[in-house]
Amino acid sequence: MSNGSSTISGNDLRRKSRIPNPIAFLEAYFGSGVKMIGLALILLTKTWSLILRGRIDWPETVRQCEMIGLKSFLVVGLTALFTGFAMSLQISRELVLFGADTAIGGVVSLALIREIGPITAGVMVAGRVGSSIAAELTTMMITEQIDALQVMRIDPVEFLVVPRYMAGILMMPTLSVYAMFIGLIAGINIAYGAANIPAATFLDSVKQTILERDFVVHFLKAFINGTIVTTFACAIGLSTKGGAEDVGIATTRSIVWTMTMIFVFNFVVTSLTYAPR
Amino acid sequence: MAQAAETPAIKAVDIHKSFDGRPILRGVSFEVYPGETLAIIGPSGCGKSTILKILCGLLEPDSGEVIKETHDIGLVFQGSALLNSYTVRENLQLALRGRKLSKADEEEQIRKTLALVGLADHLDHYPSELSGGQQKRTSFARAVVYNPRIILYDEPTTGLDPVMSTIIEDYMIELERELHAASIVVTHQYSTWTRTADRIIMMHAGRIVWTGDPSEAVDSDNAYIYQFAHAKREGPMLDA
Ligand SMILES: Nc1ncnc2c1ncn2[C@@H]1O[C@H](COP(=O)(O)OP(=O)(O)OP(=O)(O)O)[C@@H](O)[C@H]1O
Ligand SMILES: [Mg+2]
Repeated sequence: MSNGSSTISGNDLRRKSRIPNPIAFLEAYFGSGVKMIGLALILLTKTWSLILRGRIDWPETVRQCEMIGLKSFLVVGLTALFTGFAMSLQISRELVLFGADTAIGGVVSLALIREIGPITAGVMVAGRVGSSIAAELTTMMITEQIDALQVMRIDPVEFLVVPRYMAGILMMPTLSVYAMFIGLIAGINIAYGAANIPAATFLDSVKQTILERDFVVHFLKAFINGTIVTTFACAIGLSTKGGAEDVGIATTRSIVWTMTMIFVFNFVVTSLTYAPR
Repeated sequence: MAQAAETPAIKAVDIHKSFDGRPILRGVSFEVYPGETLAIIGPSGCGKSTILKILCGLLEPDSGEVIKETHDIGLVFQGSALLNSYTVRENLQLALRGRKLSKADEEEQIRKTLALVGLADHLDHYPSELSGGQQKRTSFARAVVYNPRIILYDEPTTGLDPVMSTIIEDYMIELERELHAASIVVTHQYSTWTRTADRIIMMHAGRIVWTGDPSEAVDSDNAYIYQFAHAKREGPMLDA
């Protein structure tokens, strides 16, 4: 994982990006993209093989859960609130036109449980937590802290990645559900304010529309997002070498990779579960 | 002191290493016996840290071999390499992980080692709350806290005041004597290699250019060690 030959450092892209030849530029990006996915998959395999053997540092996992929760609570809440406001306003407007205003609650909650909740939590955790994991591990790489662990015969994957990964897959569903509820509160307020729908009617419609399957998909998406954020952030952190400027590059890389992957996999899951037959 | 009858604790055989096609080590061989200290000196950038990393397994040589009698090996990093989000005590605890010591024994071992490097009052400080020299000493303590059979020191006294340097050197000498540890010390500091080393190798441009006793270093007419020991500008190391 951490030896020099399999490294994609910020350096590669930085040097190559000065070359004006667009083909070479694309090649560099494509090549490093394939490498990145490979590194993430290798790391994920190692992580799961440790988890399945019970090699989990629970106190550290709890500490990481606290960090993720603490860092994300406010931003996830705020983004979910305002996404909920905007979305409910649009939905209310259209449904009122069709005279279907009693269905507002159902449509809003469907959007929230199937798409908006997991995406909002995923993207905000990617920006807030993934980036800081990437920065932290990159710093540890370039200041030889990871080397020091290896000399002390401590496996960096077990010591650093497993607790972060565990925290990711535990906290992401929690934050997704939380985002969904905040969005629902926003929806109730908009439905009442803009379309005069009482909260009870709104919630009735929610109950009639949401199925058990929607919860399963919700948690599946959250689990995948947790996996994406922590795995890519850790893989980027542990494969970066160089100097202090590479910390910033790794942070950016981590945000771009995790967010892109979240949107891609969100669509994959949606298309596998909700495509009309 | 070295005993020819024993087998070496650690042995490097014809180590080659390049970075990005640039050869850094071009055939380096030496061995160190239990109870012996070898000093590696040479100009900045000649590959001293690289050879230590190869010896402890952090880097793979391109060719050549490292033969160790044990995996029980400690390394004092040139840049301290303390874990930032852990206190001094926790850093040392990590080194003792997997040694199956009782909590009390572990605590005693940590306190004893830190007291010897003058950091008994800094148990609960984070690395960022320590000065550079204190970090260096913590790193030293972390490498030796479990009494490894082989200890590699990368500039252990650089950046320390003369008194503290002497204390660290004394500690190194004691570890060699009492624990019969095999040590390799990379250093630019004259007092460190003259006081601690039994034998010195001097490296330049990826090769060993001189080997000898500390007492021979100053008087040797080898052009490399002469230039180095007398800090001359003129000499074979101009291109260093
Ligand atoms: N991971 C690496 N990738 C590329 N080049 C490296 C790497 N590590 C070391 N080098 C290069 O290898 C050479 C030797 O480095 P090394 O750190 O071993 O030198 P040194 O003898 O310890 O120097 P100093 O006395 O300044 O500490 C340097 O030119 C350095 O740039
Ligand atoms: Mg060095």
